[in-house]
Amino acid sequence: MTSLLKPRDGKDVEAAVHWALAESKTLEIVGQGSKRGVGRAAQWDLSLDLSDLSGVTLYEPDELILSAKAGTPMAEIEALLAANNQELAFEPVDYGPVFGAGPGRGTIGGVLGANLSGPRRIKAGAARDHFLGFTAVSGRAETFKSGGRVVKNVTGYDLCKVMAGSWGTLAALTDVTVKVLPRAETEETVLVLGLDDATAARAMSAAMGSSNDVSGAAHFPAPVAASLQAEAGAALTALRLEGVAPSVVHRRRALEVLLKSFGEIAVLEEGASRDVWRVIRNVTPFTGGARALWRISVAPTRGHEVAAAIGEGAEYVYDWAGGLIWVALPATEDGGAERVRRAIAANGHATLIRAPAAIRASVPVFEPQEPGLAALTRRVKESFDPKGIFGPGRMYAGI
Amino acid sequence: MAMAELAAQPRNEKAVKAAIGALAAKFGNRLVTSQAVREQHGNTLTWIENQPPDAVVFPQTAEDVQDAVRICVQHRVPVIPYGTGTSLEGHINAPQGGVTLDFRDMNRVLAVHAEDLDCVVEPGVTRKQLNEYLRDQGLFFPIDPGADASIGGMTATRASGTNAVRYGTMKDNVLALKVVLASGELISTARRAKKSSAGYDLTRLFVGSEGTLGVITEITVKLHGIPEAISGGICPFPSVEAACNATIATIQSGIPVARIELFDELQVKACNAYSKLTLPESPLLFLEFHGTEAGVAEQSARFGEIAADLGGGPFTWTTNTEERNRLWQARHDAYWAVIGLRPGAKAFATDVCVPLSRLAECVTETQRDIAEHNMLAPIVGHVGDGNFHTSVLLDMNDPAEVATAKAFSERLVERALAMEGTCTGEHGVGQGKMKYLQAEHGEALAAMRAIKHALDPQDLMNPGKIVAF
Ligand SMILES: Cc1cc2nc3c(=O)[nH]c(=O)nc-3n(C[C@H](O)[C@H](O)[C@H](O)COP(=O)(O)OP(=O)(O)OC[C@H]3O[C@@H](n4cnc5c(N)ncnc54)[C@H](O)[C@@H]3O)c2cc1C
Repeated sequence: MTSLLKPRDGKDVEAAVHWALAESKTLEIVGQGSKRGVGRAAQWDLSLDLSDLSGVTLYEPDELILSAKAGTPMAEIEALLAANNQELAFEPVDYGPVFGAGPGRGTIGGVLGANLSGPRRIKAGAARDHFLGFTAVSGRAETFKSGGRVVKNVTGYDLCKVMAGSWGTLAALTDVTVKVLPRAETEETVLVLGLDDATAARAMSAAMGSSNDVSGAAHFPAPVAASLQAEAGAALTALRLEGVAPSVVHRRRALEVLLKSFGEIAVLEEGASRDVWRVIRNVTPFTGGARALWRISVAPTRGHEVAAAIGEGAEYVYDWAGGLIWVALPATEDGGAERVRRAIAANGHATLIRAPAAIRASVPVFEPQEPGLAALTRRVKESFDPKGIFGPGRMYAGI
Repeated sequence: MAMAELAAQPRNEKAVKAAIGALAAKFGNRLVTSQAVREQHGNTLTWIENQPPDAVVFPQTAEDVQDAVRICVQHRVPVIPYGTGTSLEGHINAPQGGVTLDFRDMNRVLAVHAEDLDCVVEPGVTRKQLNEYLRDQGLFFPIDPGADASIGGMTATRASGTNAVRYGTMKDNVLALKVVLASGELISTARRAKKSSAGYDLTRLFVGSEGTLGVITEITVKLHGIPEAISGGICPFPSVEAACNATIATIQSGIPVARIELFDELQVKACNAYSKLTLPESPLLFLEFHGTEAGVAEQSARFGEIAADLGGGPFTWTTNTEERNRLWQARHDAYWAVIGLRPGAKAFATDVCVPLSRLAECVTETQRDIAEHNMLAPIVGHVGDGNFHTSVLLDMNDPAEVATAKAFSERLVERALAMEGTCTGEHGVGQGKMKYLQAEHGEALAAMRAIKHALDPQDLMNPGKIVAF
């Protein structure tokens, strides 16, 4: 059990990092710890627990921005936004259930640090695209700010982008500002039934290239679809439309016309549509369970080839029009690392989201980098955290 | 930074000569040292002094770029990448001399992946060239700065345009890059997958780095389907404030507007004169909606209601392509129309961005400032983003006019910063905005400098821009 540092404010965080630097201690940055299972299985001296840095500090619904302390629970932020008919448009994945914990956990700092983005990413962008500004403490124990509260600025290097998806290895976020957006008045989902993966990829590509403003495109191959819907059992390709009711209806009709040559069509109205996208967003088919869970990102039209190449025993679903594949594999030996990465053949990348520590200690969790890129990654890490105190080894061995 | 400081930079004449010798052996007549060509490659668009490089090289491949960078670094001579030279803050000046790499000849579209909605281009491809190339396939690339800039330059400056509200800026549309680092090494920042972040987001570290971290040799950008229908139109308002409030209400209600641009009265007058139009001479919003036939009609109608509620209108709109193009041509010609107000003058562009709720206040105060100082400076704004430009008309050879304009620009930046805005929404830092970065980003500068030191330890990649070494 690692011991805990529990700062109450930014100054405390700075002091804690100062101390860690002086004592040569390594720190694991945690919010509620809902994503602690992600990353290489490394050991750190202490946890820097930011959950006391909590609370929304500024919310201007008219301005479409929200600032909060990094440890603010996502549940609190999402409830506040919902009360104002707004939301985080990047629809962050809730990893709680994936790791066998309850839903609704996680903090805003964790969501940004992991760059968690759900199905709407294909339309609205990733978490990092909604990340406007922050205050953080670097590995030099220096507090610094970047960005601000305007949606557009070109004042130098875009540090928000570098912080997003850095998994707590560059700096400790203490305050963040994000863009929020109006929540769609309603939604519907067009389902195409019974498509094989290749045909589904074509159908999703046709829908994405059309003018119907599709905000989600996912495909459940038959085995996974069967586990979701007792009676159906056929593969399901789902396309989501959001907006005001009249607009959703006419786009849905246009989409039905566009897709009818692909297969039989069904429509999910608002309630059922919301349910299905929650399933996709939170990877519900693969929650709990002991299997290894991979998250693979490839060019959308190649998704089905990559999935097929992984071979026997793999179960998968596609999001992002085929560009994101969630793959469950037996958690034995290397958790499927060798065949997953062979299937990608350097045309994308795979992250091992869930696996026993023994596997995460022995195979690369994040996609291995070519030497040039690895050297650059190391230099960026060193420019924020020269002594390597924040989660060394979490993303890459030795970095 | 004062002009004198910009000029007084150390140079090593011997090293420069040696580097040029080595480059000449490699590049032959693709290395040019004539004074005229060198001066064309320094800043020419503002009052910032022209600081020409010592030589200009025209690479044709990434290997050429690697060779040129290696030679320059070996002799400790600066490297300045150059797209079309339309940047506005002295980005392409060579304060310490050095070698400019002009991407004119690296202008091939390398691949279009229509089904994945992306394409791969060399840095010298211009945005118009790319869109002509894509048109037959029903695709387009949305970012449209006022100039026909290169995709490399637009990536390096994180450029945006008139439809950022819907399609975002370069930061949202670049998927992957190939970059030659100061070491001469060529790296790919990401693979062509849509979600590019395996590890730190190095792609977006280079987007907006203004050539100070490395030289971009290949860019993968996101494409969009040409919308089935487009409606566009104009809507007059009794005041700038009413126009800004209509903008806020539109975005707040989730109407997916593609373009929403503000013209002040003077800008409308200028456009009427230049483009032979009869637009109502009051603050105007130019709007465009992209989608299906029914969708754009419905969105246009909803906007019309919002405008009417706020005292504006009538919103006259059309889906007729010719009429729409005539309107948008006027928007795109706004710069030339401004010059037409005072023939012979140059226009100096400001670029602040403020939170939407402060926009009306910021524009109105700025108009008052312009009037008080007897300047001629129309305003156009990408109001959906809180970003607006004044084009100050002046005689660049008249020190008194330049001084008045500079002082105005400083007051404008201070005003924007006081409203929690930023000194530059889209033009970038270059040389011109470095001093404001300190005021705006004090504590972030150390982090930026650390990155600069880590990636360019000898300060040879476009030195003297963004952060002092
Ligand atoms: C009339 C007018 C209107 C404008 N309107 C807008 C607007 O609406 N929005 C907007 O954002 N900007 C606007 N601009 C500014 C300018 O067009 C943009 O900054 C544009 O992105 C610059 O592109 P460029 O090809 O001309 O780059 P350049 O000016 O040649 O270079 C710009 C910077 O990028 C670097 N660079 C260029 N190529 C590379 C490369 N391959 N690798 C690494 N670094 C490189 C250069 O070193 C330099 O620092 C306008 C300018 C004018 C003159």
